[in-house]
Amino acid sequence: MSDDNTTQPPPRRHFLRQVITVAGTASLSSPLAVGAGAGAAIAATAASAADAPAAAATPAASPGLIGYESFSADEAAFVETMVNIMCPADQFTPNGVDCGLAIFIDRQLSGAYGKGAGRYMSGPWLQGKPQLGLQLPLTPEQFFKAGVEAANRQAIKKFGKAFDQLAPADADAFLAAIADGKVVDEDTPLGSWFNELMYPLFTQACYADPLYGGNNNKVFWKMLGYPGLPATHTLDMVNYRGKPFPGAKDPKSILDFS
Amino acid sequence: MIKKLEKRTVVIVGGGLTAGLVSRQLTAQGIDVLVLERGGDHSNGAEAKLPSQRDELRWDVRQGLVQKWNVQTYTLRHSRSDTSLPVRWMEAFLPGEGMGGAANHWNGHTWRWAEYDPTLRTHYTNRYGAKAIPANMPLQDWGVTYKEMEPYHDLFEKLFGISGKAGNINGKKQAGGNPFEAPRRGEYPQKPLEITEAGTVFRQTAEKMGYHPFPTPAANSSGVYTNPDGQKLGQCQYCGHCERFICEAQAKASPEVLLYPMLKERKGFEIRLNSHVLGVNYDAQTKRVTGVRYLDLRSGQEYEQPADVVVLGAFTMTNTKLLLLDKIGTPYDPVTGKGVVGKNFCYQTTSAVNVFMKDHWTNPFLSTGSTGTVIDDFNNDNFDHTGLGFLGGGMISANMFSGRPIVARRLPPGTPRWGTKWKQANVDWYAHSFGMSIQGSCYPNTENFLDLDPVYKDAYGQPLVRMTFDWRENETKMSAYVTKKMEDIAKAMGADIVGPAVPRKSPFDIRAYQTTHITGGTPMGTDPAHSVVSPRLQHWDAQNLFVVGASVFQHNSGYNPTGPLAALAVRLGDDLVRYVQRPRML
Repeated sequence: MSDDNTTQPPPRRHFLRQVITVAGTASLSSPLAVGAGAGAAIAATAASAADAPAAAATPAASPGLIGYESFSADEAAFVETMVNIMCPADQFTPNGVDCGLAIFIDRQLSGAYGKGAGRYMSGPWLQGKPQLGLQLPLTPEQFFKAGVEAANRQAIKKFGKAFDQLAPADADAFLAAIADGKVVDEDTPLGSWFNELMYPLFTQACYADPLYGGNNNKVFWKMLGYPGLPATHTLDMVNYRGKPFPGAKDPKSILDFS
Repeated sequence: MIKKLEKRTVVIVGGGLTAGLVSRQLTAQGIDVLVLERGGDHSNGAEAKLPSQRDELRWDVRQGLVQKWNVQTYTLRHSRSDTSLPVRWMEAFLPGEGMGGAANHWNGHTWRWAEYDPTLRTHYTNRYGAKAIPANMPLQDWGVTYKEMEPYHDLFEKLFGISGKAGNINGKKQAGGNPFEAPRRGEYPQKPLEITEAGTVFRQTAEKMGYHPFPTPAANSSGVYTNPDGQKLGQCQYCGHCERFICEAQAKASPEVLLYPMLKERKGFEIRLNSHVLGVNYDAQTKRVTGVRYLDLRSGQEYEQPADVVVLGAFTMTNTKLLLLDKIGTPYDPVTGKGVVGKNFCYQTTSAVNVFMKDHWTNPFLSTGSTGTVIDDFNNDNFDHTGLGFLGGGMISANMFSGRPIVARRLPPGTPRWGTKWKQANVDWYAHSFGMSIQGSCYPNTENFLDLDPVYKDAYGQPLVRMTFDWRENETKMSAYVTKKMEDIAKAMGADIVGPAVPRKSPFDIRAYQTTHITGGTPMGTDPAHSVVSPRLQHWDAQNLFVVGASVFQHNSGYNPTGPLAALAVRLGDDLVRYVQRPRML
């Protein structure tokens, strides 16, 4: 997959540079300019026009959500790098940040899901077979943070630098090694962290309703040919059985009806 | 301080499908009924209205309509020698919460089981001899026959406007229906749902191979329908948001559409929402129950609700839990084989295969929860088991239930998990693939059972139900055999790619959804040594206590449980009318 990515390593703390850019155009007292998280989201929006290749199947992205609620600067750098590796800008979509994937993950982790809503959290805490499900006394948000720290620790051990500074091919291979359970951290189960937390968040970011900040501009629904909400398909069932469905080209989301 | 309330005639624990049906029969005769439901009313919530109803993340992935695991979960161990651990977030099966229960978010498959299912022990013994049933498989007859239940199936199907094609009307085989079907008195109330492209491909191949495909019987209404009570269903719009969703078009037959609005207008009916039942008051001396204790979740006040008759109509696991908590009946002991409460706990043996056909537009988003085309040729005992080394089987179907993009994308084996090639495969196959699946039987095993966990507690301080469950040899052998049959069909379709057809194997895994068809724990039968309740669902150790739901099943068949549990609930309603008039062992 690495040959599909850009070959230049991303500049260190890509988004910090963007904060400076933003600060130049906005008052420093503006709440949007305070904190790396806010800057990162603005960067995501600002970067979309410049970074998206002309071939991207999407018109200019709508602004989407702004500012990180959960991510620290290191975590934002990690996730932005991760989603841009997993979702490179190509003929199908802009890069992951521009698709809103990082902001989606941030919002899920800072919200009810990240705080462990609905999860049984009483002890005692014992480890067992994986088929019994994760047995960690961490909320998903806490698990996320522990995992980023562990993954960076292992990246530094292997490459001498944090994950967000790796060349795209190395970052891609490193994620694959984590997914395969080949990157072992003494404190955090990185395989579970990626496969049971980060990967589901990635696919949800791509395919959930844009209401949640990912799938910006319904870009993944358009790519897939999923028509979204409208459904009075009683006749379509007969008329389009075995044929392409025209509505798939122009999906409608909750935002379109809000 | 517990407050004691005025006595009611019949109190039902759990406000789902069975409670709605029992209440329908009782209130029609003017009998006073109180239903206690732990959840709220979804009818006017975001889950039941556009556009929020179509939110896959909220209702499906984050389980918005499902039991809250932080409040109530289960523990699991695969064998008695393991240590049980709590399921901290369940994916395998999804009990509901709120008025209507799991029948709000069901897919709508509505089966009658095989004619021989209620007399399965006798059936297998007669066909294969006394030694055919292994010693560790405590199959029992249910103490009822299909013929006795047929009128109740018929009424339930009319109430819920089931769409389907009959295969056997009064013993006469019907073209296009299921030739293995138990005899019915007439056609389904509505014509079948439209067939999908996947169903068309499957049907042609299955017919060529000599099998007998037919449409899945569905509670997703193929037309506009008015039931015998004057309650209405809209026409299904094939939007692909059934399972895990409430149908905003009121086109999926559900208790909150067809039963509760009507019941609320009837004299003598009351449903109390946000009322979590903590226990059943039982007098072991007189062998009678006197009422229930419940917590009003809105005030935190605990109440004692006296009753002449108590009906347990909660989800399978809760029916067992309440009996165990208040020590009503003898708990099952796997060492001695004695005792009954928690016994014959079964699940559903499923497996699947993905089929990829680039020349076919399968349009997964044009579907309902029940748009399936099925063969029953390898289900249960519809084929000869001589020499096979297992009992039971499964239905094989080509399904198109939804095109919801987070979870309903199929990708060929070997596809990278991210990157441009991953996107390319999504584009290539999303509308050019479908799934085939098996819903198989699960027969009881002496080592699969429910009891109370010794360590872990729910949010009310009560022990969690502990599942001791795994896929045992009979089920894994059955799954291997039927999954191979499914793979053979998949490979005969002329597909570009057929994914791996992996049979169900041990260990039982709670991390992936299989079905919500959990059965047993309070099985019914004629012999108190092998059953918790009588054939009339009356508790052997408490004459005025009744249990209804899939918890009374002695085994799980290769079908969804809704048909038989609903038929049993309708019949129980009629029985309770007689019981209230003259209390006795029925």
